[in-house]
Amino acid sequence: MKQLWRVREFSTLMILVLEVAFFTWYLWPSDGGHPFLNVGNALLILKYSSIYGIAAIGAAIVIITGGIDLSSGAVIGLTSVVTGYFFVQADWSLTASAVMGLMVGLSAGLASSWLIVGMRLPPFIATLGVMGIWRGVGYIITEARFYDLSAKLPRNWTVAGVSIDWVPPLVMVTLAAVFQVLMKRFQWGRAIFAVGGNETAALFSGLRVGLVKTTAYVTAGLLAAISGVVLAVVQGQGKADLANGYELDIIASAVVGGTSLTGGRGSVAGAVLGALIFGVLRNALPQIPGATFYDRVIVGLAVIVIVVMDQVMVRRGEA
Amino acid sequence: MTTAGLAFRDVAKAFGAVQALRGVSFTVAAGDAHACVGENGAGKSTLLKILAGIIRPDRGDLSWAGDRIHFSSPREALERGIGMVYQEMLAFPNLSVTANIFAGREITSPWGRLDERAMRARTQELLTQLHVPVTPDTSMERVSTACAQLVQVARALAFDCRVLVLDEPTTSLTDAEVDHLFSVVGRLRQQGVTVLFVSHRLPEVYRLCDHITVLRDGQFVGTFERATTPSDDIVRAMVGREPPKRVPRAASSPVPQFPSSPALRVRGLARRPAFDDVSFEVASGEIVGMFGLVGSGRTEILETLFGLATPDAGQVAVDGRAVNVRSARDAARAGLALVPENRQRQGLFFNLSLRHNLVLPLAAKQGVGLIRDAAEEAAAGAQVESLSIKTPNMRVTPDALSGGNQQKIVAGKWLATTPRVLLLDEPTKGVDVGAKFEIHNLIRRQADAGMACLMVSSDLPEVLALADRILVMREGHLCGELQGADATEEAVMRLATHDVEADQPPRGRA
Repeated sequence: MKQLWRVREFSTLMILVLEVAFFTWYLWPSDGGHPFLNVGNALLILKYSSIYGIAAIGAAIVIITGGIDLSSGAVIGLTSVVTGYFFVQADWSLTASAVMGLMVGLSAGLASSWLIVGMRLPPFIATLGVMGIWRGVGYIITEARFYDLSAKLPRNWTVAGVSIDWVPPLVMVTLAAVFQVLMKRFQWGRAIFAVGGNETAALFSGLRVGLVKTTAYVTAGLLAAISGVVLAVVQGQGKADLANGYELDIIASAVVGGTSLTGGRGSVAGAVLGALIFGVLRNALPQIPGATFYDRVIVGLAVIVIVVMDQVMVRRGEA
Repeated sequence: MTTAGLAFRDVAKAFGAVQALRGVSFTVAAGDAHACVGENGAGKSTLLKILAGIIRPDRGDLSWAGDRIHFSSPREALERGIGMVYQEMLAFPNLSVTANIFAGREITSPWGRLDERAMRARTQELLTQLHVPVTPDTSMERVSTACAQLVQVARALAFDCRVLVLDEPTTSLTDAEVDHLFSVVGRLRQQGVTVLFVSHRLPEVYRLCDHITVLRDGQFVGTFERATTPSDDIVRAMVGREPPKRVPRAASSPVPQFPSSPALRVRGLARRPAFDDVSFEVASGEIVGMFGLVGSGRTEILETLFGLATPDAGQVAVDGRAVNVRSARDAARAGLALVPENRQRQGLFFNLSLRHNLVLPLAAKQGVGLIRDAAEEAAAGAQVESLSIKTPNMRVTPDALSGGNQQKIVAGKWLATTPRVLLLDEPTKGVDVGAKFEIHNLIRRQADAGMACLMVSSDLPEVLALADRILVMREGHLCGELQGADATEEAVMRLATHDVEADQPPRGRA
C-alpha cells in the first residue's frame, strides 16, 4: 500500500474513484435506472473527456519542460475547420482530411518553438500570439459558416468491429500509454524532465535544449490537433469557435494530474486522469437539480481542492 | 611544456564593454596536473566556458594534441573527452542520482529505450569508488551539497574523459572529502588523464598540481613550477601587489567583557534532527566563530535564529530580552541580521539596482510604505562608502560587480539596519584573496563598534584568524569551545571530527 502511494498517479486515480463514488451516492435514484452510473453515460464521459485528455498529454509534456502552451484550444478549433473543409468542401476521404488537420497542430508547434527557441520569447507570450493567429485563421476560412461533417459521416459506423463511440477513448488510452513509456523509459523523456529541472545544467550537460523544447511544442501541437479531429467527428462539425477556452481546462487537467507549473515534475498518465476528473464533473453537475448556475464556481473550487488533496496525499506517501 | 597537450593561443573575449580575456596563451602538457589561479574577475571562468564550448572566443584558438579544436556546443566538448566539474551545483533536483550522472548521454538499447539496469550498476560502481554515501536511486534534491559535488565528479568519470576540468571543486567539501577527491584525481592522472584545476585555495593547488598558471585582469601573468615557486610569489602574481597581512586578532583591541546580559543568548535551542540542545552566548563586540563539518548543523542554527525555520525548543534573548522570532521580519526587528551562505540565491536581487538591493531590509524593518528617493540614495550611498564597494554607480545591477563586492552588498544591506547581532554564514566563500581581507576587516570593524558577530565558516584559517572564541559543532551538537588564543587547527579538527571518525567518509545528509 505504502508503495502504491509513491506512484505519482495513484493519488490522482484515488481522487477520480472518490469523485465517481460521491456522484454515484448523491445521484442514487429513488426508482429505476441510475442516471449517472450506467454504461451509456460512462461512454459519454469517456468520449468527451478524450478531447481534453489527448491535448492534456501534450500540455503536460510542455509544462514539464518548464513552458506553457496556451494555443491548444485554438489548434483544436482550427483543426476541426481544416478537417471539415477538406472532408466536406473538397470532398476528400476522412483520413486524408484528418492528416491535413494534423498539419494545423504541426504548424502551431513549429511556430511556437521557433518563437521560444529562436526568438527567445517567453512561452506564455509566444503561445498566446499563436493562439490568437490560429483561432483567427479559422474565422477567415469559414467566414462565420461551419462545415457539416455529420451528413457525410456514415451512420452506425464501426472501425475494425468497434463502434465509433469507443474510438476516441481508445485513442486517448493508447496515446497516454505510449507517451507514458516515452517519458519514463526513453532518452527523449529524460531530456524533457532534465530541461525542466535545470535548464542551465541541461545545456552544460550537452543536451540539445532547443531541440528538446521544439519536440515538446510540436508534440503538444500534434496532440491538440488529434483532439481537434476527434471533436470534429464527435460533434459532426468544423467550426471556428469550437473549443473556445479549452486551453485552460487542458492545462488544469495536467496540473490536477500532478504536473508542476514550475517544470521538471509531472506525468502524462496523470494528465489523462485529470481530464477524466473534469469530465465526470462536467457530466454529473448538470444532473444535480439547481446546480446549473453554480457549475463554473464548482469546477473552479474543484481545481483548488483537488490540487490541495493531491499534495496532502503525496506528502503522506513520502512520510 | 614541450608535449603538445591542451594549448590556448591568444584567446580573447569581451562581454559588452568588459574585456574578460585579453589574449591569453598557455599550454597544459598532456598528463599534467595544471592549476589555473587568479582573483575573481581574472577571466578563469570565461576561459573554462570557452573550453567547455559554452561560449565562443572573439579571437584566438584552442588545440588538443596538436589538433585545433573548435567547440560550438558543450556536447562537442564532451564528445572530445573534456569532462567538467562545475563550481555551482549544476544538478537536476527532480531526477535521481543515476539520471543526473547520465543526463544527455544515457545508456540505451538499439531502440532508444533507457537501460536503467546498466546505468544503475555503473552508478553504483562509481559511487562506491568515490565513497559517496547515496544510492543510485536517491533523488538529487535529497543529496547534500558535498555529495552533490562528488556526484558531478562521478558524472565526469562515467565517460571516457581525457581532460578533467575542476572548477573550485572543494568549496563545500570537508578535509576528508578533499583528500578523497584528490586521491581519485591522482589515480586518474596515473591513467593518463590531464587535469586542469581552478581554485582559490593555494594549499590545495600546491598539493595537487605540478604547474600553476596565473591570470590577472584577463591577462596571462605566468606559468610557474610548483617545485621552485613559493606560494607568496603566486599571491603576488595574482593580486599584482604584496600579499595582504593577516587580520589583526583581537589582541590589538581590548578583549570584550561580558556585560550583565550578552547581546545574544541562546538556551537549549533545538531543531531536530538538524541540531539539538545548543546553548551559547555572544557578547557585544565579540566575534564568535562556529566551526563544524558540512552537515554538523551550523547553517541550520543560523537559519533558525533568523526565523527561517521554527525551532522545536529553546529560548533566544537579544540584549537580555527574550525574543520570539517567527520570521525574518521578526528577526530584523529584534536586531538580528543574517548574511547568508549563497549570495547568488539567497542574498541578491539581480533584477534590482544596487541602491534597491541595499535598502531593502531597512525598508522592510521600518515598514516604509512610500519610497523616498533621497533617503534611499543617502542610506545606500553611506553603505557603498563605508564598505568601499567598487561600483561605477548605484543604478547597476549586482551582476556588474565582482564576487567580493557582491558579498559586501549582502553585508551592507543588513548593516544598514544597524543590527545588534550579525550572523554570517561562510562570509568569504568564493571571494578572492583581496576581498577576503577586506571582508575580514569589515567584520572586525563592526565588532569593535560593539556589534556581536556569530560567524559560521568551513575555512579553518579564517576562523582562527578572526574569532575571539570558537564553538565547535559535531552532528548537531555543540561539542566544544575554544578561546581564540588556545585554538589550533589540530585542536579544532579533533573536536569537530572526534578523531576516530576523522577518516570516515562524509555522512549523507547535510
